Amino acid sequence: MSYPEYPEKVDSAPNLKVQGVSVVYSNGHQALRDASFSLEGGTICALVGVNGSGKSTLFKSIMGFLKPTSGVITINGLPVKEILKQRLVAYVPQSEEVDWQFPVSVWDVVMMGRYGAMNFLRIARAVDRKIVEESLKRVSMWEYRDRQIGELSGGQKKRVFLARALAQEGKVILLDEPFTGVDVSTEHAIIGLLQELKKAGCIILVSTHNLGSVPEFCDQVVLMNRTVLAYGPTADVFTEQNLTLAFGGLLREFQFEQSTIQAHDGRKVRVFSDDERPLVFGKDGHLEYRDRSDHEELLKQRSKEHNE
Amino acid sequence: MSESLQYLLNPLQYEYMLRAIWVSALVGGVCGFLSSFVTLKGWSLMGDALSHAVVPGVVIAYLLGLPFALGAFVAAILATGAMAFIRAQSRIREDATIGIVFTSFFALGLVLITAFPAGLDLKVILYGNILGIAAGDVMQVVVIAVVVLCLLGLKWRDLMLYCFDANQARALGIKPMVLHMILLGSLAAVSVAALQAVGAILVLAMLVTPGATAYLLTDRFGKMIWISSGLGIVTSMLGSYASYFLNGATGGCIVSLQALVFLGVFVLAPKHGLLASRRARLKEEIVVKEGVS
Repeated sequence: MSYPEYPEKVDSAPNLKVQGVSVVYSNGHQALRDASFSLEGGTICALVGVNGSGKSTLFKSIMGFLKPTSGVITINGLPVKEILKQRLVAYVPQSEEVDWQFPVSVWDVVMMGRYGAMNFLRIARAVDRKIVEESLKRVSMWEYRDRQIGELSGGQKKRVFLARALAQEGKVILLDEPFTGVDVSTEHAIIGLLQELKKAGCIILVSTHNLGSVPEFCDQVVLMNRTVLAYGPTADVFTEQNLTLAFGGLLREFQFEQSTIQAHDGRKVRVFSDDERPLVFGKDGHLEYRDRSDHEELLKQRSKEHNE
Repeated sequence: MSESLQYLLNPLQYEYMLRAIWVSALVGGVCGFLSSFVTLKGWSLMGDALSHAVVPGVVIAYLLGLPFALGAFVAAILATGAMAFIRAQSRIREDATIGIVFTSFFALGLVLITAFPAGLDLKVILYGNILGIAAGDVMQVVVIAVVVLCLLGLKWRDLMLYCFDANQARALGIKPMVLHMILLGSLAAVSVAALQAVGAILVLAMLVTPGATAYLLTDRFGKMIWISSGLGIVTSMLGSYASYFLNGATGGCIVSLQALVFLGVFVLAPKHGLLASRRARLKEEIVVKEGVS
């Protein structure tokens, strides 16, 4: 019924609350200690931290694979068990976790997003087929529907699993390292799609190592190191101080004042990077964005402050 | 001409031959169906383990006058429980755990058989005896086959999802643990049925070869199930039929036939066969060379 207006389907904006969550594995390793944050619908939020900082533990807890030793996770006040029953959380796995030789087509995989909504024999109804078709078209993978999933490029593979998350119609979408092994045009396509979903009221939680891309498309950041160090709007959380706290000496940095760059270089400094986007801070340690056209207000404000 | 036809039809005159053919076809079909899941889940070693671990259960059930299937099922549950326990409580890796547990169970079975010589024949357990299968055992095989076929037939999409992406199953509110138990339970039950047909040593072949063969022939799971089940049925029928002329070893005949089919498919499969992938690689090289020149 509600299929054609999928974006409007998210009737009540979800809210995700993580309150005092601790996870201790059976071998005694404490992966997460007293982690708390909350997110309201209509946001793209980055989950940033080093390997072992508890990002995937947090994901697993939200998806109910792990039971926190203490603390609670709720969506719209519902506990995890109920979240799973109502299929509120959709998950886009890392490419390494998927068996690409498995004998399933692109269509089959996206249809798996609908299983929870079908009867117990999982026989697709017309509405399921329609949603799968729509989802595939939204990620521009409709022409590839009959391909075996191993025959796709890295970006196409990612889009298939994104389509599955769309087909599931979850309100909270978790993406684990969505941009590894993906070309720039696919990255843009994925970000465009995430922004559409955000407008539709979803909470999109993206775990990523790629710091440079975070200010470009994430409204909020949860900074982690075995707990939540800070969370909130990107510009507030992504400060030099916080990142040092989260990453310690683990970040590569390039300090302009310590480098050979001189005044006469002026603004002709260029920064190159092969894979990871560089993250650039300005004179006062504030965040620099790649594209100034999106941040006119900020520029005016900063130059005003500077002239005072 | 008619004499050779007569010769070929000879085995079909005997009731025990007809029964062996249809019972092994049934067993082959169920094993073939299950083998698609076993192959893709990477459970070959698990299949081997369970098919051996059921032996002491069968022996004890025989001694107590209970149905084979019951004893086998209890033994299978104990064995998987023991594996899970050792795995969780020690640093030993999974393959070693499986190796230790199934050989222990099998050894116990051997001791029991030899300690109570009045009971079962060791040869029957090891090599099966489909030609001399008793009416009560036929009943058990039929019940197991029908139950497992219904279960897998109704739940194959869920089980496919579980094999492919257990996390997604959970995110959809489908319990992976239940699917795991269905698959494991089917494996244990089918092991008992197959034990009758081909014996403990060759059960694994029935649980792996048809699925592996089908996997080389298709990129769709639905088709793979049909192919593996079909292969199981046809090879089991032909194998037990051929065993009449080759004087015995039904299990050997069935499994040899399956191995032959696998070999043929391994070389000739249209897309994933040896020759096809050679051809594809050659083509690619030519394209690359043309691109360069």
